[in-house]
Amino acid sequence: MTSLSSDSLSARTASASLAASAPAMVIDDVVKRFGRGTEVVTAVDHVSFNVAQGEFVSVIGPSGCGKSTLFNIIGGLLGDYEGNVLIGDERISAPHPEVGMVFQEESTFPWRNVIDNVAFPLELQGVAKSERMDRAHHFIDMVGLANFEKNYPSQLSGGMKQRVSIARTLVSQPKILLMDEPFAALDEQTRLLLGDKITQIQQQLNQTTLLITHNLTEAVQLSDRIVVMTYRPGKVKRIVDIKLARPRTSDVVGSDAFGHYVAEIWNDLREEASRGMADSESAASRRGAHG
Amino acid sequence: MAATGEMTARARPVAAPVMGGEASARSAFMLRMACAVVLLGMWEILSRSGLFYGEVVPSLFKIVLAIGALLVDPVFWTNLRVTFLEVAASLAIGTLLGVMTGIVLGSNRFLMRAFEPYIYYLSPTPRIILFPIMIMWFGVGPSSKIALGALSAFFAVALSTAAGMRQIDQILIRVGRSFRATKWQMAMKIYLPAMKIPVLNGIRLGMGTAIITVLLAETKLSNQGLGYLIMQIYTRFDMPSLYGLLILVFAIAGASNAMIGRAIRE
Amino acid sequence: MAKAGAIPFTTRWMPEMFGIGTLVVAILIFELLVQSGVVNRFIIPPPSDVFLAFERVVMEEDILGRVRETAFEMTVAGVAVVIVGIPIGALLYRYSIWRRALEDWIGALAAAPIVLAFPLFLVLFGRSSTTIIVMAFFHGLAPIILKTVEGLTATRKVLINVGRSLNMTSSQMFWKILFPSALPVIFTGIRLSWTFCLITVVGVEFLINLGGLGQLINDLAERYDLPGTYASICFVIFVSVLFFVILERIESWLQPAR
Repeated sequence: MTSLSSDSLSARTASASLAASAPAMVIDDVVKRFGRGTEVVTAVDHVSFNVAQGEFVSVIGPSGCGKSTLFNIIGGLLGDYEGNVLIGDERISAPHPEVGMVFQEESTFPWRNVIDNVAFPLELQGVAKSERMDRAHHFIDMVGLANFEKNYPSQLSGGMKQRVSIARTLVSQPKILLMDEPFAALDEQTRLLLGDKITQIQQQLNQTTLLITHNLTEAVQLSDRIVVMTYRPGKVKRIVDIKLARPRTSDVVGSDAFGHYVAEIWNDLREEASRGMADSESAASRRGAHG
Repeated sequence: MAATGEMTARARPVAAPVMGGEASARSAFMLRMACAVVLLGMWEILSRSGLFYGEVVPSLFKIVLAIGALLVDPVFWTNLRVTFLEVAASLAIGTLLGVMTGIVLGSNRFLMRAFEPYIYYLSPTPRIILFPIMIMWFGVGPSSKIALGALSAFFAVALSTAAGMRQIDQILIRVGRSFRATKWQMAMKIYLPAMKIPVLNGIRLGMGTAIITVLLAETKLSNQGLGYLIMQIYTRFDMPSLYGLLILVFAIAGASNAMIGRAIRE
Repeated sequence: MAKAGAIPFTTRWMPEMFGIGTLVVAILIFELLVQSGVVNRFIIPPPSDVFLAFERVVMEEDILGRVRETAFEMTVAGVAVVIVGIPIGALLYRYSIWRRALEDWIGALAAAPIVLAFPLFLVLFGRSSTTIIVMAFFHGLAPIILKTVEGLTATRKVLINVGRSLNMTSSQMFWKILFPSALPVIFTGIRLSWTFCLITVVGVEFLINLGGLGQLINDLAERYDLPGTYASICFVIFVSVLFFVILERIESWLQPAR
């Protein structure tokens, strides 16, 4: 059973290195506006960057920088936008089978146990039961939940549930893994440990990954490159290469180089975050004045 | 019928469309009107088709006329007065006993475990079957109806009060304690304001069941009240008036429910 | 020694035993009051007589046949309510304009004192169990529709997004995400509906003196058989409480998987 999936995995790795020159995904001059008339808000403003095969890219910015909008556009949930998101020659305007999404909110199905949750996408594809159980098992093992296959989500911790969601997304072997603050609801220790897990899986699968986050430590810990966004309208402020050695673990968090990157990016982020804070404070005082 | 509480107490979220909310509200209203017209039209066609025996499906005009006739008939008003007084008395008694019981059960875990299951499981049983006992105890007059109505209201008010008592935010109680509020201050400043909504909700549910139970008891055995009037009209086989009176009773029940509902929202 | 940490049975169930004890003491007090003549035995029969009357009621009043009749009416109305109510709820969820147009009416139907319209149903359907079934159906229909709509609407947005990200068809979306997610709420609707049905069936049987358990009470009351009336009322209350408890057990048994 494992032979089957590891075969297909190594085949993919091989083809990935063949096409290493072509980026896995191109985000080209994407603009998204909400509302009409005088009330137009530009959420995403001329954003462009590429994601190479096997690369781990994070998009970081304060709340209100259009990260989630970008996530929805790339995932195909928001089909109406300007510019292009390309996978190969295909422009994304609906959910693309090669893009696997992991959501910020807890998204396991409470009425299915762990293995049935993970096997869900295969069930939709009509994969035979024994095969889909084998493949689901492989990925449950990978996220470290082998002993919990028959448990229901209500019996798991928040971090375990997010790992189930990640396994469920990986099981259909998407070319691009797209995650929206998957650890936002978890405590710091769990987040660091899960980060290790993600790094490990990403290296094992050579998985092209795009992570949306507002957490600086997490972004530096995991990424090859970090796209820093501005607060409203969301533009690309800077793209930072993270040249920390791989394989990497959460030990890297203590290193000087790590601290250097965090300080450098925080320098950029601070200005944006404080603009966001000032904005929401004045909005609150306006609301207060009205009511 | 205490079960109604579980249903109406929850907010009903309506999926808000992103754009054109007003337009779709208007078209929903038009659709509703269209449904009403179609239903009433079908009724009128049925009544004129002669498919039904006699006046089983009377013409809408006859029903409207019958409602008009009832509203100018002093008989309707005297019977309404009787029923109103019976419901008011039963609601007063049921609320008083219910709030007292609810506070005791809500503040004492031991008594809650000892007695609340009885109230909880008896509350959805059909109360009208207790009517024979009420007749034996209180006679065939209004007292037996009041007793049965009070019993119905009691269950709803007691359960709602007890639940409200337990649901008071523990943090508020701790805040009160941290300011070293006296027992009286705790009762007036924390418990009373927090209890208002659940008690009023209990009264709303209790009134609903009290109205139904009192009216049903009147249909079963009485010589006055709207329930009695319904049976009088039924035995005369005066279908337009029967429809008319039931519509009036439903409207009165609905209106009094809406009134308490508004009081709760304010 | 193994018991060292365990709470003894009597301590753990103290409140419940106190409740039962109070009930027993109250019954004994009534017995004494009636036997000593303080309370008129034609108002409250001695509890011992009521207790003895159970046997008579069971033996002579064809209790099995009556339970069967009430159960038959309940089953027909209960099944009809589920078969009709859940699809209506799903359609109202799917076509939100219909929902906006009709939801208030359905809410009004749920709150309307439909039992009171029994004379009307008598004229329409005659003095038959059809009348009882139709009334129970109309009384029980609204809760299940409203709860179905509520449950489907409460499906978390992120689960729907998971479905969209997997390019699910709308029928897959309904059967694999919306419906299972709504199921616990829908079952609450079924429980409420069946409770309404039972109230209506027994109540109308009593009111129009026709059919099963409701009529039993009426029969004995009209014969001035006091202990028998009390016994039959206790019996009917027992049966309905049993029904509610079973429904609640099923409901909470459906929950842990969530």
